[in-house]
Amino acid sequence: MVYVQSPFKKTLAVNLNPATTTLRDLNLHLHRYHLIPISHQRLYLSPRLLSTEGNDAVFLSDLGVSPNSTLTLHVPLLGGMQAPVAPKARTDFLNTKPPPNYVAGLGRGATGFTTRSDIGPARAAPDLPDRSAAAIGAPGAPGVGRGRGKGAGEEEEEEESEEKGYDENQKFDEFEGNDAGLFASAEYDDEDREADAVWEAIDNRMDSRRKDRREARLKEEIEKYRASNPKITEQFADLKRKLHTMSNDEWDSIPEIGDYSLRNKKKRFESFVPVPDTLLEKARQEKEHVSALDPKSRAAGGTETPWAQTPVTDLTAVGEGRGTVLSLKLDRLSDSVSGLTVVDPKGYLTDLKSMKITSDAEVSDINKARLLLKSVTQTNPKHPHGWIAAARLEEVAGKLQASQHLIRKGCEECPKSEDVWLEACRLASHVDAKAVIARGVKAIPNSVKLWMQAAKLELDDVNKSRVLRKGLEHIPDSVRLWKAVVELANEEDARLLLQRAVECCPLHVELWLALARLETYENAKKVLNKAREKLSKEPAIWITAAKLEEANGNTSMVGKIIERGIRALQRESVEIDREMWMKEAEAAERAGSVATCQAIIHNTVEVGVEEEDRKRTWVADAEECKKRGSIETARAIYAHALTVFLTKKSIWLKAAQLEKSHGTRESLDALLRKAVTYIPHAEVLWLMGAKEKWLAGDVPAARAILQEAYAAIPNSEEIWLAAFKLEFENHEPERARMLLAKARERGGTERVWMKSAIVERELGNIAEERRLLDEGLERFPSFFKLWLMLGQLEERLKNLERAKDAYELGLKHCPKSIPLWLSLAHLEEKVNNALSKARAVLTMARKKNPQTPELWLAAVRAESRRGEKKDAEILMAKALQECPTSGILWAASIEMAPRPQQKTKSRDAYKKCGDDPHVLAAVGKIFWHDRKVDKARSWFNRAVTLAPDIGDFWALYYKFELQHGGEDTQKDVLNRCIAADPKHGEKWQGISKAVENSHQPTESILKKVVVAIGKEDHAAETGKN
Amino acid sequence: MSYLLPHLHSGWAVDQAILAEEERLVLIRFGHDWDETCMQMDEVLASVAETLKNFAVIYLVDITEVPDFNTMYELYDPSTIMFFFRNKHIMIDLGTGNNNKINWAMKDKQEFIDIVETVYRGARKGRGLVIAPKDYSTKYRY
Repeated sequence: MVYVQSPFKKTLAVNLNPATTTLRDLNLHLHRYHLIPISHQRLYLSPRLLSTEGNDAVFLSDLGVSPNSTLTLHVPLLGGMQAPVAPKARTDFLNTKPPPNYVAGLGRGATGFTTRSDIGPARAAPDLPDRSAAAIGAPGAPGVGRGRGKGAGEEEEEEESEEKGYDENQKFDEFEGNDAGLFASAEYDDEDREADAVWEAIDNRMDSRRKDRREARLKEEIEKYRASNPKITEQFADLKRKLHTMSNDEWDSIPEIGDYSLRNKKKRFESFVPVPDTLLEKARQEKEHVSALDPKSRAAGGTETPWAQTPVTDLTAVGEGRGTVLSLKLDRLSDSVSGLTVVDPKGYLTDLKSMKITSDAEVSDINKARLLLKSVTQTNPKHPHGWIAAARLEEVAGKLQASQHLIRKGCEECPKSEDVWLEACRLASHVDAKAVIARGVKAIPNSVKLWMQAAKLELDDVNKSRVLRKGLEHIPDSVRLWKAVVELANEEDARLLLQRAVECCPLHVELWLALARLETYENAKKVLNKAREKLSKEPAIWITAAKLEEANGNTSMVGKIIERGIRALQRESVEIDREMWMKEAEAAERAGSVATCQAIIHNTVEVGVEEEDRKRTWVADAEECKKRGSIETARAIYAHALTVFLTKKSIWLKAAQLEKSHGTRESLDALLRKAVTYIPHAEVLWLMGAKEKWLAGDVPAARAILQEAYAAIPNSEEIWLAAFKLEFENHEPERARMLLAKARERGGTERVWMKSAIVERELGNIAEERRLLDEGLERFPSFFKLWLMLGQLEERLKNLERAKDAYELGLKHCPKSIPLWLSLAHLEEKVNNALSKARAVLTMARKKNPQTPELWLAAVRAESRRGEKKDAEILMAKALQECPTSGILWAASIEMAPRPQQKTKSRDAYKKCGDDPHVLAAVGKIFWHDRKVDKARSWFNRAVTLAPDIGDFWALYYKFELQHGGEDTQKDVLNRCIAADPKHGEKWQGISKAVENSHQPTESILKKVVVAIGKEDHAAETGKN
Repeated sequence: MSYLLPHLHSGWAVDQAILAEEERLVLIRFGHDWDETCMQMDEVLASVAETLKNFAVIYLVDITEVPDFNTMYELYDPSTIMFFFRNKHIMIDLGTGNNNKINWAMKDKQEFIDIVETVYRGARKGRGLVIAPKDYSTKYRY
């Protein structure tokens, strides 16, 4: 054993016998082990260099190497200029002999491979170290002799190598080994062989002498090594033995090891390179729009871009296109794998449908769509919609030929799809269309659509009906075809056709009904009976039967039929849908079958309505019907409701209103009579009846009704007053007076006293009037109207002071009465002709009644009457601050404002209180002044519809129409005004309440107001000028 | 055309030839000069040798004369070509299932050059296995 310290700081233990091993052998071994060329190996034994010239063949023991001594291997550092080795230089091995005992492949550490273990083992040799040890340990191997023996033919080659300029010895040294030195050229004879044999025997002997000990030691060493470095399997042996205790779950719960290989690890950081400016500049240029044409493109036609100039600019489009193509390919692949269509053809067909081509710019879109559809038709040729979409696309793109071609292909691929045929028919020219549809019909003879289309293609009715009849031969149960045929036929034919049709499709009511309509009364009855047998659940038949009876005068039968019908239907357990039946009733009413309508309502209105909901539901239904214009239905509903709720005032009232608005006077009268017999204590109904009579001009009848009412409800003030009014209005003041006296005796309210005073005022009995007023005021001191009347009375008599007293007294009792305050202020203004007193009164009034726009308005008016424009404006501003949403104030402020500012004012007013009629009227006035007739009309209209009770607006509107409108519109406004019967309004009340104007009809008052307004305006104009 | 190419007459020579080349690929054809397949192969080898000389050197080995590698390299085919670079056997994935060698006669010169070049490039990069530019699996032959 010799130890060699290698340059890699490792110690190599070489198992050799120094006495039998030459230095050359050791060198070779080291070369094999470390791949250090022999020429570079320098072995030292402590400081002494062993590797010198001529030492090669010397045994190690001769060099002083003893067993277990340590040699140092040194590799000299070869610095400086060494001649570069040309790649081709080393072909010497071609001609050199292999070293003795050389094992091919071993020298370069070659390993074989096993691809075909059936032929034999590829690796011939056991482990390398053993082999080398054996080789070194047996230096006298026969190979040595063989090498020597082959030496005979070597001389010539050596001469060749001399020519090449190699040092012979060195080379010899390198390859041949040391034992070739002296006797290399000698013959290998028997003597030699004998000597070799002897040496070998000696070697073997020597080897075997220490073999046991050596092997024992080796074994011991190995064991020691194993003990110090136990194998992993041994280390875990005990654990491994316990493995059988592990359960399956535990095995499963062992986590998988992840892929922690370096390759799959993400790079810790990536390096980023700043974007060069050139790239940014280029991008900017691409984004930029150039509005000027460059000369080249102008030469090419200006608008279109020449091909060569811009190869492809829209890179994103290209990228997207590629993406879609890829996805399509993938889809197709997945199709072919699973056999199912992954593409949702309908989905993107609808997408395509929404595409519309408007310009050439969308040509690329068309191309894309074409590509898509092509793939659709290719992947799924049996899908008709793909073909249709493809054909439509071509059609949209303007390529009719291509589209026809495509659809023809589609027809071939899916001949059973009617859509494709229809599309083909549509796309074909008119001449071809018939041929196409004929083929289509042949392919699918059962398609109604195709037959209809075929009929449509025929021009005249004869051919059409011929086609349809042919279609019916194939599909005798198609209602559509039957209907189409019947429509084309004349009455007689239609009847025959329908008879056949109901045989073919007995379940279609429409056919039955149509047949019944065409038949005579007797036959129709039969037909309907038959239909009823076939379709026992169809209400329409019953209704038609009822109508039929009604049309033939058997009104009595109608109710029976409907009743029977409903019973029959209920037997058939058909749900009686109330809504549906109501609709039927309305339809019947519209068709003129009133009896049917009533019968239907009578029989069905109670169905499916809860006991407690009945009244509400019925009233709501009636209202709805009324709104829809189905008066008879509504009437029938009310009639039915009244049979149930005899004593409900509200229903009677509603029914009466219905009659009033839509019925005749007689029907209303009858209804009201019936009503009051059932509920005699409902004064409203009495009053309504009386009023109706009075309006009809039948005063005695009205009087009689009121007397009846009085008898029914003796203490009703309303009836008293109604009676008084009737007398008073009919110029029977004596009767009126008597009535009122009776009422006063019975202890009437303040209204009675007031009315009495009014009567006296009318009759001019001042004394009586005053007496009544005083009496009334004693009883009802807080009723301001009486105070007001008293004041007015004094005023009329020019007793201004007393009037003032009356007002003041009145105000003491009711300080919240605005009219009293206003009258007082007015009086003050009139009496003293000085504003100060009136101002004081108004201020006081405002203090007592804050936020009352009327008081403010009066103050403003008073100021402006005095010509104190500034004060008026200031007051107005204050007023608007206090009551910012008062329409009257805003309207007044608009009128006060100078002309140019009126518009802005009106805008403000509109913002603050947009739906106040005063403001609307004021705005309308502005438009009127600006001669914007239509606008003014619409504003006035809005005002009067919002506040139909205020006469001022009606007067304004009427005046406007007198000036700008035609006769029709004037009459219209007048009528509407009369219908609305306005009672209020500043000017209106002024005129209507005047004593001389009492008992005047609305029309004359309106005209008077108009005149008054005209006068006022004129005055205002002149005042302004 | 085997006479145009250098032969290696011993295992030693083969080893040395493989060890001697530092920068070039060593390409060894194992077989017999008289073999028909080898003759075809040699024809190609001889014609491309000059082209390849900068990155590959070609040797021929008679497997009867030098049987040392027969087991190690499983040299049973009439003609076998193996590649070595810096004492490393370079494997090529030819699609045939045997990545160790080319065991048929290549008739197309350019194809062969391509393979050698691929091997050289891969070997330079330290690869032990390269993939041939063309798939030589039998499915293309039938």
